[in-house]
Amino acid sequence: MRESIVMKVHYGTALGSVVLVAVHILFRLTMDFSESLQYENVVANYQFIPYAILLELVLILLSVHGFNGLRVILLELKQGRSYEKAVTYGCLAAMAGLIAYGSKTILMTSMGMT
Amino acid sequence: MKQNENNEGIKGMANPGRYGIERVAYWLMRITGLGLLAYFIGHVYETSSILNGKEAWNSMLELTQTTEGHIFLTLVIGMCVFHTANGIRVMLGHGGIGVGKPARPDYPYVPASQNTMHKLCIYASIGLAALAMMYGLSVLFGE
Repeated sequence: MRESIVMKVHYGTALGSVVLVAVHILFRLTMDFSESLQYENVVANYQFIPYAILLELVLILLSVHGFNGLRVILLELKQGRSYEKAVTYGCLAAMAGLIAYGSKTILMTSMGMT
Repeated sequence: MKQNENNEGIKGMANPGRYGIERVAYWLMRITGLGLLAYFIGHVYETSSILNGKEAWNSMLELTQTTEGHIFLTLVIGMCVFHTANGIRVMLGHGGIGVGKPARPDYPYVPASQNTMHKLCIYASIGLAALAMMYGLSVLFGE
């Protein structure tokens, strides 16, 4: 993929994350902060499907943005054909791993499998 | 100057003393980005404890709901706000907004690409992060 397109994806995921993370934080402020983190309240949040979808979107957007950011930083430090390939595929694998791990939590909790 | 004197590597790239607030913003952006990525991975792992039931969730919560945990979370808030505000500035700059008109580089060679507006935005990002951290402290410790 062309680097100019990657940067557009980077900026798009950044703007999307800002909006969705703001909603995610506002959910914690709908009641007293420590009360909102009680087990029953958190499970109820996950079982509210629109919120579960929001969490999944936040997970995907932040993973793409975060690991692409890491890739950019690592490519600034050192260049070279094999190094660049290793960094790109390493970041892609880490991104996919984190999305899979986080999705498992969201899916199982929203389906009541806790 | 010999070539090896000019080859400072990472130290030269990160040196904030040479190019003013723009270089400070450059490395703050990267440090906050790495910090936020580390926090995000930790947060995904931390919240996965909900799958192991109420006791596992409460014991994980006990680890984070401490004074040190709240201070750490306040730092995360600051990093998040700076990274967001400065990121929007960078995006606008890449789009050509607020960078000024190109001009002939006359003495004393003040760069036209980084004008006062962008420098003010960097200071504003730092200020916003400080305000958000103060609000975060009041929410976290005002329970």
